[in-house]
Amino acid sequence: MVKEKKSIDFAPRTLGAGLLHKKDLLLAAILIAFGSFIYYHAGKFPPAPAILGDTINADVFPKMLVVLLIFLTVVVPFEFKFSPKKIDKIDKDRGDETPRITWITIFVLLAIASSAEFLGSVLTMFVCCFSIPILWGEKRYLAVAIYAVLFPAFVFLLFNKVLGLYFNPGLLEVFIK
Amino acid sequence: MEDVIKGLTLIFEFQNIALIFGGVLVGVLVGALPGLSSPMAIALLMPFTISLDPIASISMMAALYCAGTFGGSITAILINAPGAPPAVATALDGYQMAKNGEPGRALGLAAVASVFGGLFSIIVFLIATPVLADIALQFGPVEYFGLSIFALSMLAAMSGKSSIRNLIAGVLGVLVSTIGVHLATGVERFEFGIQELSDGIKFVPVLIGLFAVSELLTQSKTLNAVVEKMSAKTLKLPTIAELKKLKGLILRSSGLGTFIGILPAEGSTVAAMMGYNEAKRWSKTPEKFGTGHAEGIVGPEAANNAAAGGAMVPTLALGIPGSGTTALILAALVMHGFRPGPYLITETPELVYAIFGAMLIANIGFLGVGLVGAKYFSYVTLIPKKFLWPSVFVFSLIGSYAYSSAMFDVWVMLLSGIIGYFAMRNGFSPAPFVMGLILGKMVEETFTQSMVIYNSNFMNFFDSFVFNIFVLLTVMSLTSPFWGKIKNLITGKKSESVF
Repeated sequence: MVKEKKSIDFAPRTLGAGLLHKKDLLLAAILIAFGSFIYYHAGKFPPAPAILGDTINADVFPKMLVVLLIFLTVVVPFEFKFSPKKIDKIDKDRGDETPRITWITIFVLLAIASSAEFLGSVLTMFVCCFSIPILWGEKRYLAVAIYAVLFPAFVFLLFNKVLGLYFNPGLLEVFIK
Repeated sequence: MEDVIKGLTLIFEFQNIALIFGGVLVGVLVGALPGLSSPMAIALLMPFTISLDPIASISMMAALYCAGTFGGSITAILINAPGAPPAVATALDGYQMAKNGEPGRALGLAAVASVFGGLFSIIVFLIATPVLADIALQFGPVEYFGLSIFALSMLAAMSGKSSIRNLIAGVLGVLVSTIGVHLATGVERFEFGIQELSDGIKFVPVLIGLFAVSELLTQSKTLNAVVEKMSAKTLKLPTIAELKKLKGLILRSSGLGTFIGILPAEGSTVAAMMGYNEAKRWSKTPEKFGTGHAEGIVGPEAANNAAAGGAMVPTLALGIPGSGTTALILAALVMHGFRPGPYLITETPELVYAIFGAMLIANIGFLGVGLVGAKYFSYVTLIPKKFLWPSVFVFSLIGSYAYSSAMFDVWVMLLSGIIGYFAMRNGFSPAPFVMGLILGKMVEETFTQSMVIYNSNFMNFFDSFVFNIFVLLTVMSLTSPFWGKIKNLITGKKSESVF
């Protein structure tokens, strides 16, 4: 009987290969680039006027923070070496690519926000309540329509009529006039 | 005593009682719904409370916070889907007990333990807040700088996926707080020509984005997840004999939870996990844990609710949030024009005691809610996500716009949400960022003042004994994630901790 050799798994169980974790390396690069930009930008702040005496210049504190940020960030690509279980959990979350539906949702939310001032508060709420369920695959169109009318109406009545919050009429102003 | 009576009198006005019960109902509801959380509910409510009486609004938020912690256990027990992170530990034995045919008993044990934990911590809150505030009044800028650094260092031990990422998020939060005009010199920082940034980034839109929009995007991935429909059960209170058996555990877990809550940055989730582990460690029958053991429900539940009260102590006495949710309550205090920190209790003692009253009512209130409505609250998980999350987005839009009637805030909210979503995917949590954002101004102000006092020589800070203590505590908290590993290396044992 051949005894099976027990092998020690030196290979990282995560997305990392060898010494560095690839995704965390990219993450660290982004954070360091961001920190470097902030450090550079802070360097352009004018010094405190002499009349203020011994006060600390405006750039000192942000620069200190950036140094600390970079110091902490440098550890990130190696984190899987000393906390493999935790990084495994993180890798599970980010293992798959961001789903298409999430990208589309982001796009729709940005579109709704872009048109909010033109549409006005009530119509924006209606668009939200109508478009997002449909986008997310809701097939009960009547239920969506009822929800898209009743929910904004409820929010309008509660916050505008009861709590006195101002709702920008937007496009509805034309119809009201 | 006069202030206590004044605070309690304020609370017992009809409008305030109604708001507190509203807070309890919303708290249990959002606690029960996986994905929704009390920080999210507070962030969404915050802008709408501007027109309300400040004491009533803050009390409502405190009530929501207490009830939200309990609400999470309902769905944890009935469908093994913890509505809130602090209820994760409760699910281990609570769901097993429910599966064993005793869901009512599991809910009853959770409710009673929560009430005891909550009441215990409120008593500590009442005693400790003025004492701690008195001590803090003796602090100068350098001591406060030390304290705020210690509070930020506690982010390393905060519940989350990674200590390093928690600290990075905290530093980023502080960095974002530096946007706007530097008060000491009048220099404009990181405004990039955007006029709206001269006052700095406003808390509320960022909080709404981080807690609501990023969660909406996370939920967009799991739209078709099927929620198990549970049969409605009634809550069954434990017997006196059972309570007598569990009283030691309840007291121990309440004490532990309150202590963890008082520590800056540590909240109910850490308390619940430690409550579960300690209950198991002290138990005569540890082998029964995970099979539907009463001690496995009582331990974490008493601890997580006690932490809620405990977390209010540093928030109100020092202006240092005791948890992610109390960071939002702190932001609400600032929004309503209060000065968080030791001056709060000297300038507006009635507010502190009103919050105490609100939490007291909330703790009794959610027992009532649990007794009457646990079975109904468990049904909220059946609300389709495709309708629930657009509603959350509507509140996010209206809330961030209502704060200062500016579309700029809506964009801040959206961007915070989108960045928060991608950050969460990479292991970052929103709570440390929020703590950094809220503490940022204090850290910079106290640092600048200290540098001026000590002739721009940082080494002179160490002349202060209290500062040295905080430095020592900071070092201890930063190294705390490694203690267990070092201990295990020395003893050669494997950790028995469940979490």
